[in-house]
Amino acid sequence: MSAAVAFSPEQLAEVRRLQALYPDRRGALLPVLHMAQDTFGWISLDVEAYVAGLFDLSPAHVHEVVTFYTLYFRQPKGRHVVAVCHNLSCHLAGAPDILRHVRERLGIDVGETSDDGRVTLQSVECLCACEAAPMMQVDDRYELHLTPETVDRILEELR
Amino acid sequence: MPKLIIDDREIEVEAGTNLIEAARRLGIEIPHYCYHPALSIAGQCRLCMVDIEKTPRPTIACNTLAADGMVVRTDTERVRETRRSIMEFHLINHPLDCPVCDQAGECWLQIYYMKHGLYDPRMVDEKVHKPKAVPLGPHVILDAERCILCSRCVRFCDEITDTGELGIFNRGDHSELALFPGRDLTNNYSGNVVDICPVGALTDRDFRFQVRVWYLDTARSVCPGCARGCNIDVHVNRRRPHHAEGRRVARLKPRFNPDVNAWWMCDVGRYDQHGVVDSPGRLPVPLGRAGAAQVEVGWEEAVAAVADALRAHGPEAVAVLASPHMANEDLMALRVVLERAGVRQVAFRVPPAAPADGDDFLLRADRTPNVRGAELIGLDGDAAAILAAARAGRLRALWVFDHDLTTAGWPAAEVAEALGRVETLIYAGAVASATSARARWVLPTATWVEREGTLTNFEGRVQRFRTALEPLGRSLPAWELLGRVLAALGGTPPGPRAEHWFRALASAVPAFAGMTYRTVGDGGQMVAGAVPGGAPVPPGRRAVVGAAG
Repeated sequence: MSAAVAFSPEQLAEVRRLQALYPDRRGALLPVLHMAQDTFGWISLDVEAYVAGLFDLSPAHVHEVVTFYTLYFRQPKGRHVVAVCHNLSCHLAGAPDILRHVRERLGIDVGETSDDGRVTLQSVECLCACEAAPMMQVDDRYELHLTPETVDRILEELR
Repeated sequence: MPKLIIDDREIEVEAGTNLIEAARRLGIEIPHYCYHPALSIAGQCRLCMVDIEKTPRPTIACNTLAADGMVVRTDTERVRETRRSIMEFHLINHPLDCPVCDQAGECWLQIYYMKHGLYDPRMVDEKVHKPKAVPLGPHVILDAERCILCSRCVRFCDEITDTGELGIFNRGDHSELALFPGRDLTNNYSGNVVDICPVGALTDRDFRFQVRVWYLDTARSVCPGCARGCNIDVHVNRRRPHHAEGRRVARLKPRFNPDVNAWWMCDVGRYDQHGVVDSPGRLPVPLGRAGAAQVEVGWEEAVAAVADALRAHGPEAVAVLASPHMANEDLMALRVVLERAGVRQVAFRVPPAAPADGDDFLLRADRTPNVRGAELIGLDGDAAAILAAARAGRLRALWVFDHDLTTAGWPAAEVAEALGRVETLIYAGAVASATSARARWVLPTATWVEREGTLTNFEGRVQRFRTALEPLGRSLPAWELLGRVLAALGGTPPGPRAEHWFRALASAVPAFAGMTYRTVGDGGQMVAGAVPGGAPVPPGRRAVVGAAG
């Protein structure tokens, strides 16, 4: 394991606090993995092994959890994550055109990260904003009622 | 103790017994894949559904404990329909490659489809494809398309070996059994995941494509790989000899014994022990000498010569190095022969070149199966003194069983000197070695799968092993060739079978008093005064549960 993969003492205290919240401390695995992703950028095999050590689990079990969910990044991601909804309402409201536009603008395909490390593009299932379709999520916020013009403006602002 | 009714029959079971085990006791088989009595409950395969009175839906039997007054039915139309549907689910993405699958013939997908499936397949879509023929380590190979994700192997590596190599990764129909990236299934118990895999997902690299399982014959036996004596079944291929290039022992499988090895055996036992049986170095015929060359001789000639050598030189000039690989019957026969010939210098502890290590579960550091038997039968002399006597020229005849002294833990120069000064070196064993090559007389013995007998494990448990194959060539069980030597010395062997020697042992050695093959049975019997310790707790069960939940 690389020496860089380690939480600070404050973070370790937080891990212990989270573990104490559940009758089985494995319940804290998801929030701790999110902490790890925020801290280390993405979940490498080294990070999985490190987190496994905090829970006295085999790394394989942490890998099971990480591969089950889509919100854990198993490769380095860009500084920003753009997730375009491709589910039914957005699809009917023009999501394929929006996604094509985003791909052309960024010059990358779904699942890829721009060469400058600025943006990672995803295509995702329903994010529960059908009333504002088509929509996408940019980092922690929703961008609604998308048009090619608003997409350009939003992408411009990402640094 | 809860009393319940299963299929109209009442049974009382201990509290904590699940419905699969309760039904099993009535002879009712509830089909299941993921449940295994040695492992935690996963509830993953959903096949063990039963109807329980006052319960609205079918319930999985593995995770339901027998309760007082419970009324269970395992054969309702609803249960049958549920099983059919679940079989259809399990087989949706199955590649149906039984013609090239080693598991065919002992596959629980085949067995349960014929018993509980027999539906008309409705699958019209392209099947999901997954990695095939992936080596997981030195002994196990994975076909992920055949896997039904029961997780027995994953739980085995967590709960038995505590090594945690395996997991089920990804989600939905992409779910896939695999190793944690960068790891290999190298623990010393890896072969057991093949045994517990109910389908053809995990197969044995050593057994792969050798022979169809329905051509195998089976004999109950004991692993000779260490002093524990794990109970095993020997699977031999007699009916299709051309399929495996003459290899007769197809595989070894652990046999359940709750007091010795439970369901398991180690890879050292499983893969390193049977090689000797089909070794190209086997000694098929007795050998004598014509000048410098070893030549085939008849048993009569060899036996007469050995008897002469034992008796001609006087007790001070004759010694025997017996072996802890010999069965109790052989050692008893040797003791009687030596008593008859008046030979008193006998020992069996020849040090190995490099002392082996035991592991943290079944494997013992003592890699021989019968030290305890040889001690009890009274052959525990000073082997180093015999070597010294030979070097000093005080021995005219030396009879060595099994050991290759040239690769033992003695200085090679001393061994060479000793063997050079002995006038008549006699070797009895199954495989040729530098020691047998120097012998005046070579007596070929049958290996443990080619004969029957008993071994006494480190705890003092006497255990039977049975004949799976005919002895190779003209080789004989050691007890039988010793019986012939005894007859040549004017003695009378107790009878024509190994069992007769065991009876002689039981009446001569107090530790074995009262034992017969029948009382030893399939579970073994402790020698007088020995206290059984039971099968060891697996490493994965030793940690305090609760920390990890």
